[in-house]
Amino acid sequence: MSTPSSNKSTMRDALTKPQGFRFLGLDFDSAIKYFFGGNAFVAVVVLALITIFLFKEGFGFISQNRRNLQVYRQAGLEYVDIMRSRMDAHTKLGRQVNAARLNLFKDLQKQGKSLDEINAMLAPLDEFSGKFSDAAETLRGLVSDYGDAAATIKQSASEIQDRLEEKEMLIDAGKRDQAEKVVVPVIDFPSARKVILDSEPQYAELCGAMRSTLIALINTPNPGYEMIPLEVRSRFKTDTLAFLDYLDQGKSELTAWNPDKPVGYLDGLASFLTHPEWLTASFWQDWYGVIPLFVGSLFVSVIALLLAVPLGVSAAIYVNQIAGNREASYIKPAIEFIAAFPSVVLGFFGVAILGETIRAISGWHFLSWISFFPIAERLNATTAGILLGLMAVPTIFSLAEDAINNVPVHFKEASFALGASKLQTLVKIIIPAALSGIIAAVLLGFGRVIGETMVVLLCAGNRIKIPDFTEGLGAFFQPVHTMTGIIAQEMGEVPSGSIHYRALFMVAILLFLLALGINFLAQRIVRRFKISIG
Amino acid sequence: MKTTKLVLSILASLSVASVAHAGKVVIKGSDTLGSKLVPQLAEAFKAANPDTKFEIAAEGSTTGFAALIDGTADIGMASRRAKPAEISAATSKGLNLKPTIVAYDGITVVVNANSPVKKLTKQQVEQIFTGDVTDWSAVGGAAGKISVYTRNTSSGTYSDWKELAMKKRDYAPSAQKLAGNEQIVAEVAKNPNGIGYVGIAYSHEAGVHAVSVDGAEPTEANVKSKVWPYSRPTFYYTNGAPAGEAGAFLNFTLSPAGQAIVKQVGFVKIN
Repeated sequence: MSTPSSNKSTMRDALTKPQGFRFLGLDFDSAIKYFFGGNAFVAVVVLALITIFLFKEGFGFISQNRRNLQVYRQAGLEYVDIMRSRMDAHTKLGRQVNAARLNLFKDLQKQGKSLDEINAMLAPLDEFSGKFSDAAETLRGLVSDYGDAAATIKQSASEIQDRLEEKEMLIDAGKRDQAEKVVVPVIDFPSARKVILDSEPQYAELCGAMRSTLIALINTPNPGYEMIPLEVRSRFKTDTLAFLDYLDQGKSELTAWNPDKPVGYLDGLASFLTHPEWLTASFWQDWYGVIPLFVGSLFVSVIALLLAVPLGVSAAIYVNQIAGNREASYIKPAIEFIAAFPSVVLGFFGVAILGETIRAISGWHFLSWISFFPIAERLNATTAGILLGLMAVPTIFSLAEDAINNVPVHFKEASFALGASKLQTLVKIIIPAALSGIIAAVLLGFGRVIGETMVVLLCAGNRIKIPDFTEGLGAFFQPVHTMTGIIAQEMGEVPSGSIHYRALFMVAILLFLLALGINFLAQRIVRRFKISIG
Repeated sequence: MKTTKLVLSILASLSVASVAHAGKVVIKGSDTLGSKLVPQLAEAFKAANPDTKFEIAAEGSTTGFAALIDGTADIGMASRRAKPAEISAATSKGLNLKPTIVAYDGITVVVNANSPVKKLTKQQVEQIFTGDVTDWSAVGGAAGKISVYTRNTSSGTYSDWKELAMKKRDYAPSAQKLAGNEQIVAEVAKNPNGIGYVGIAYSHEAGVHAVSVDGAEPTEANVKSKVWPYSRPTFYYTNGAPAGEAGAFLNFTLSPAGQAIVKQVGFVKIN
């Protein structure tokens, strides 16, 4: 028995004997120690630098957006927008007539009438619709005139900004004498704005005229008006009366408008978080509201999770508890292999095949009872959601399987000992015990999905408009834009340092905080509900 | 010593790449020009000058100006004129942006080939792209929601269209932004309710139909005589008058041989 013991002692010697090897004055052990420590340190520093850069670039947005909003107010755009919102409300009201026309149109088409015949029959309705639209013509003219005036003031304000930037650039390039020659125009906002503020009495007068025209239109019998079904007509009438009140309310809003109301830094941030539009390169006013992108990202992620959670969790339970060893050895690598697909390949598959297939299926005749079929856009939230769901399955599967694996085996044994069946044990003991881990797995899958870029960029359709959720399930087949998608799409086309560029960084910060929050939550859940192994 | 070999071969390929740049013309910018016309011009030019190499990137006019200002391109293709901010950015770097008109283009409204709509008015076009009208039945078609396709914001066509067709108003929020003319043609060809706009050279593809506007057809003669309402020039932007290979290529584009290619691709000749 002497051989093993001598083996042992050589092993101990090998591990404990100081080495002769030295590198930069360090022995082997400390070299390894510093190598690992150094790498960990570099990783932390790089991460910190990225975070600092992200926040530095992003926070510049708040002051830039504040200035953006300040010009919007000082140039009188905000004032004209009070009138413009009335015009929009009027257009929206007109859509009710259009919708009624569309229904009549469809009915007549079903009766087998030709396009020309239908259009001839609907001519009185078109006349009514034209009159309704014309009622706003003079007010529209006023808004357009004052809109032009406000836009001109804004234009000169942005010229000042351009000149200042040019000057700065010249100074940076070391051309001081040239920089001094740049003339920066001065603008006197109050007197420039005066012409716009004078529109108030005119607005009141036109409101009165519009009121009498519209009242006459909805109260006097008219062949076109009577073509609209009674039910729609009465709703249209109520809405028109409500609109007239809204129109009058504009007068007091215009009077109460204060051009000198200060725009705070918080307003710059609040506009980003709450404005419902992401509108760039606008003739009127650029808005950087994250809401449509946030809704789009969330919507796509929810679709993805609806698919990935059942698939991933069930597969994990099956592989860990039900399948035999041989079966598991096939299923496990197969599911994990999905993660190996480059996301651009999946995106390409979505564009070339999946979207097209879904649209083709939606056009099948026996599905025509579904109100929103056939769908128009092949690139939509569902196309992207399905592929993202597929990508989240391996994440959820692996983590959920780990969680189930971590349930102590004596829980199972105790359950069997009490006479419970295999299925009872699974449903009543194992799954509840692993639930915190499974929830964490779902959360991390969500994090995986919301940060994905390529698939949403290629397959989500990139439409800024928030999906119309009043259409019910039809909303699932509308295109959306996402936070990651907008960064990928627009980062290449914005000049660095511009407000648009910084707005994209703000979106990135939001994504970063979201990912951080999800990870934090997942860890908390695992820790909070961890079963004690004792 | 595999690693050493690998490093050496990488270094070698890098040095070759930097040498190659000497005889290379770098052209960046407009997708309208860069996805068809300029590559074909480059091919023809190369046939006569086999030593010249081209690098063409077509991602929108804005990227062309940016590349020119950063000094990473010899020629910037553009389907719009430079904005004041771009000109001042160039001046501050000591550059002088010089436009040369290389071809005329008519932006053409395309609908699906099966759509019954064959003609629109200027006002209807404006209403469709601004979202005032959302259903085909309102402009003489069958009932169905209009799917509006536009170019992305870096495109010169995107901003030209606002000026030419939309009285500078904003696009409907429901419009979908696509990266190039060919994508727009592809989407409209597949969607019976689709509508989009493309350079005239792309309007003859299968599956789409170019509509007449206010009675005018988008033909070469109408674009040239400005009867077509959405006519516009397209440009090469250079830093002053270009020298060397870039200058030779510019001259070739303007020459009769170059202009013959312009016509063949579907654009309108300058003379």
